[in-house]
Amino acid sequence: MSLWHIAWGYLWNRKFTSALTILSVALGVGLIYSVLTLREETRKRFEEEGQSFDIVVGAKGSPLQLVLSALYFMDTPTGNIRLSDYEAIKQNEDVEAAFPISMGDTYRGFRIVGTITDLFSYTWTNPVSGEKRKPFNLAEGRLFQKPMEAVLGSAVARAEGLLIGDTFIGSHGFIELPDGVREDHVANPYTVVGILGPSGSPNDRAIFADLASVWDVHGQKHGTGEAPPGETDAADAPLEVTAVLVSLQSPTLRFQFVEFVNDTYNAMATIPINQIQNLYASLLGTAKSVLLSVGYLVVVISAISILIGLYLSILQRRRDLAIMRALGASAYEIVGSVLIEAFLVTVLGVIAGWFVGNMASWCVGLYLTRQYGLTIDVFTMLTNEQLVAFSIVALVGIVAGIAPAWQAYRTDVARDLAEL
Amino acid sequence: MVKMERCRRRLGPGVEFYCESFQAPPGAQMALWGPSGCGKSTMLNLISGLLRPDSGAISVDGVDTTKLGESQLDRFRGERFGFVFQTFNLLAPFSALQNVLIGMRFSDTLPSAEWKSRATHLLERVGLGHRLHSKPATLSVGERQRVAIARALANKQKIVVADEPTGSLDPKSAETVMELLLELCREQTVTLLLVTHARELAGLCPTQFDCSDLVREVKS
Repeated sequence: MSLWHIAWGYLWNRKFTSALTILSVALGVGLIYSVLTLREETRKRFEEEGQSFDIVVGAKGSPLQLVLSALYFMDTPTGNIRLSDYEAIKQNEDVEAAFPISMGDTYRGFRIVGTITDLFSYTWTNPVSGEKRKPFNLAEGRLFQKPMEAVLGSAVARAEGLLIGDTFIGSHGFIELPDGVREDHVANPYTVVGILGPSGSPNDRAIFADLASVWDVHGQKHGTGEAPPGETDAADAPLEVTAVLVSLQSPTLRFQFVEFVNDTYNAMATIPINQIQNLYASLLGTAKSVLLSVGYLVVVISAISILIGLYLSILQRRRDLAIMRALGASAYEIVGSVLIEAFLVTVLGVIAGWFVGNMASWCVGLYLTRQYGLTIDVFTMLTNEQLVAFSIVALVGIVAGIAPAWQAYRTDVARDLAEL
Repeated sequence: MVKMERCRRRLGPGVEFYCESFQAPPGAQMALWGPSGCGKSTMLNLISGLLRPDSGAISVDGVDTTKLGESQLDRFRGERFGFVFQTFNLLAPFSALQNVLIGMRFSDTLPSAEWKSRATHLLERVGLGHRLHSKPATLSVGERQRVAIARALANKQKIVVADEPTGSLDPKSAETVMELLLELCREQTVTLLLVTHARELAGLCPTQFDCSDLVREVKS
């Protein structure tokens, strides 16, 4: 019979109250863990996407809005730039590859992205992990070969049950509107010719089509460069794209190239990874601090409940402590057994909290995947930040055991044996 | 050998315990007898180190217990004294076997490899071989007191102090328990100090010590 056995015996003897105390610790730890996990995992995913291209070029406006709309398909675009600007950028000696994208329509909330087929063979290397990434992998069918042919992201095909050969009609705008309000391009249906494999990126939630599809749907003439008689103003306007995704010969050219584009064209260039890191540092950093504060507050409340639980338990078993002293247990051994109880409650709370936190992260991850195409890995190795948070919680739990342990230390053996 | 000389302990305003002299030779079976409130239990607590005297000397097997530090006294008590209380004082979360083992855990008398076999043997000896894993709440009062007796002898203690050990038992269980206690103490040459207010129970011990005038009034 070690002190651990004795402490466990008393915990087990009051299973229900012990379980409630453990649960309160677990909720605090779970909240802290899920905040840290979600923050870290979303940061990793966002930054990974942010690093897939060195530069994004689009209409002047908010650089963050441009990045979010062009890479993550999350925000409305800042506007359009001339196709001729894209062509000029593509010819620049510093540019390794440049891909135009054009947006304006959605299908049931999924964005229709006009681009060129070269984008699908694009590969890049993650500068942190050194891993070679190919964001587009065709799982079924083929790439589009002419306007109004579409390649679906895996989540779109799954959610809408679309198969190769199916047709669908895009709607104008970036939000899903109800029937009657929605402006459907009924004259220009798309035909599904290919479906991409899952990538865990925003591409899963996009529909890709030829650049000309977007122009056709919006009545912009292309090809010869001359508008047929009777066409509208839109048809006469110069061809435009929403953004250009640029990969440079070297990441060291990024700042120089941004300056060059901003000075030379009626367009704005930005470095996506910088925008994403700024977003995390400002807005999401504050949100994280708030959520972490709530988590630690729950842990402090849990610590108080450990303290109250143990303290009441010590008061209830003053006689047992006196008996142990009579049997030869020193005051230090009594204190040790009480602190072990606090430790066991805390450790079990932390383990349960880790599980709760992972489950919560998994649930939120499902939402993020459905909504933004971002995948969240759960039940992964603990990060240093999480280890520090868990250690703080364990320490708080043990500190909460000190007051009851002190009460136990002060046991007046003869009085407690006689009184009760 | 247990000795107490001019031992004084303040009990409250104007009241104190005082014992001029007391002696119990090794292996003695002695009843500390007297009416309720006369100081019998205080005397037992002083002898076993559960209370410390304000003055005077107490020695157990030649060791002056008043000179021992708190932790030393705890260990000394665990090794030398076994306790049998009126209300059994078993630890509710633990089985009969674990209650005996806990007594051994707080003493260095026996190597840990022997704990389980000795605890099992003692419980079999008191007739509880079939209730080793029963929790106190499921035992009868007589059985609980027999577990307490096994625990009191677990560390091969030299002295067993029994404070009204039959006070909570029915007459039949009381008789069984007393017979067992006397027999085991005799068998293992253990000094038994039995506190009781019942004359007939005191009469079961070969020697008696009258505690009638141990508590006295003093000027504040």
